[in-house]
Amino acid sequence: MEDTYRPGRAFPDNALLQNAKQSPLTNINYRELQAVLDAAVDGIIIIDHRGSIRSFNRAAERLLGFTSAEAIGQNIGILMNRDDQNDHDGFLRRYQENRIPHIIGTGRDVTVRRKDGTVFPAHLSVGAIAGEEPPRFVGFIHDITDSRRMQAESHQLQDRLTYVSRLATVGEMASGIAHELNQPLAAMATYAHACDRLLGLPQPDIEEVRSALKLIADQAVRAGDIIRRMRSLARSEESARAPVSVNTLINELATLINSDAKAHGVSYRQELGTGLSDVCASGAQIQQVVVNLVRNALEAVGGSHAGRPAEVLIVTRQLLDGRVEISVRDNGPGVPQALREQIFDPFCTTKAAGTGLGLAISRSIVAAHEGTLEYEPNVPDGARFNLRLDPARMNTP
Amino acid sequence: MKERPPLVFIVDDDDAVRNSIRLLMKSLGHATQTLPSAKAFLTTYDPEQPGCLILDVRMPGMSGLELQQELNIRGAVIPVIFITGHGDVPMAVEAMQQGAFDFLQKPFRDQDLIERVQRALTKDQSNRAELGERAKVRERFESLTPREREVLALVTSGKANKVMAADLDVSQRTVEIHRSRVMEKMHATSLAQLVRMMLDLEESKQS
Repeated sequence: MEDTYRPGRAFPDNALLQNAKQSPLTNINYRELQAVLDAAVDGIIIIDHRGSIRSFNRAAERLLGFTSAEAIGQNIGILMNRDDQNDHDGFLRRYQENRIPHIIGTGRDVTVRRKDGTVFPAHLSVGAIAGEEPPRFVGFIHDITDSRRMQAESHQLQDRLTYVSRLATVGEMASGIAHELNQPLAAMATYAHACDRLLGLPQPDIEEVRSALKLIADQAVRAGDIIRRMRSLARSEESARAPVSVNTLINELATLINSDAKAHGVSYRQELGTGLSDVCASGAQIQQVVVNLVRNALEAVGGSHAGRPAEVLIVTRQLLDGRVEISVRDNGPGVPQALREQIFDPFCTTKAAGTGLGLAISRSIVAAHEGTLEYEPNVPDGARFNLRLDPARMNTP
Repeated sequence: MKERPPLVFIVDDDDAVRNSIRLLMKSLGHATQTLPSAKAFLTTYDPEQPGCLILDVRMPGMSGLELQQELNIRGAVIPVIFITGHGDVPMAVEAMQQGAFDFLQKPFRDQDLIERVQRALTKDQSNRAELGERAKVRERFESLTPREREVLALVTSGKANKVMAADLDVSQRTVEIHRSRVMEKMHATSLAQLVRMMLDLEESKQS
């Protein structure tokens, strides 16, 4: 069976190549095979059981800077950095002793070294050549520099998009924040005036003045807290993942949500579950999603409440499967059946001034966290969005 | 009836703002009552209680503007001073159109609030005095007999006794008796005063 080339195989059997050279009948096949190898975009290298290079196609020459003549006979280690060289020797030995393949059939991403010492990322897939003893191997080197760069760029783009959308949200929330800051400022100013007047009375009550001074200090701290929270929401560099408590994330947002809810004439409540697992997430990004969902809810209920008090509710809980759920619920009109499939699509919006990106960005952020973001009708009425995340691994400190 | 001392009502959902205004009012010797929501105010509100209302515009549940509307529906006369954290012009306009006494933006100068509270209390007092006067006039008017009311209507429209006697088909002497009874019952000392009373009564019926 080794003397014919079977189409559909990823690479020619070595025996075939050898036979091809010897047999005048298969002479054409050999040239065909050589043409196939040389036309390939990926580097194709055949090595023996000691790692010695036996065949080196044209793409390999172009990718690696060695000519075929220079490469053949050398150890495959010349294309690797030192650690990988040692590992590779080990893989070869182990395969020869007990046929345990390391990457055969699966492939992996590796760093490949060129003749000039520069390196590039590549996907390496390896096959063992059937019927050979000692075994030989063929490796395909696929340069992934471009796709890596594109991946990095798209990550960067996603981070920037999240950041921009967060800034936009902060901008939209600015009036709510201004209101929120005005409260402690107004209280401080009024307390101070009151102290001044109390001290001007014929028999001033010093204790009363002193307790008012303490209240002024409390309000200054409150104002500082609001500013700190606003800044943490506007920070840009927070795409790093770490184990965080969803309840902490929600509590950090509570003041902002409250002020925004107030501006919409809506009451806000939260029911935070106890003993929840942490999730491994970028806190700022998850907060961004929650803020998006809350803003949608506020706009939905604010516009239409038929006599009943408009309310937005955040509930956190652990699901039976271990995932942690943040659900944002409102008692507004809900999402019409016809729109439920589309609301997560970019540019789908029901708001006059909406971009239609809020839910699309939210879902992409959640997807990047291997989580899910789904809609379901709330009971008894309104909308409910469920954000579900895997628990962080238990062994994290 | 003994006059009740005026009360400054402070309705704001923010504990610190509410309490600080209470303390400022206290330093001026005003009696206060603080309430955390519009609903709480409505449930305890006694329209007979003189005073003024310092009201936050934006509150969860019933907003300040909604409370003002409700008070208008109930015919309450208490002057309302709105305070807001927002420089929200349309909202201020709406509040003023609905008869708000004044509108202050937080944080405010104490002098501004103090002055407005003082003026609001004065206004409330004169409102109530006017109302009391009007109620008395109405009471007196209602004590008139149908015939006396007819005479009153003719007198205030400027008819002479002789003309009235012809219109009502009674003697001039009878008209004179009715007329003096009307003046007496209405506590009017002149025709001019009687006309003013009737105009005022008419006006209050229309509004």
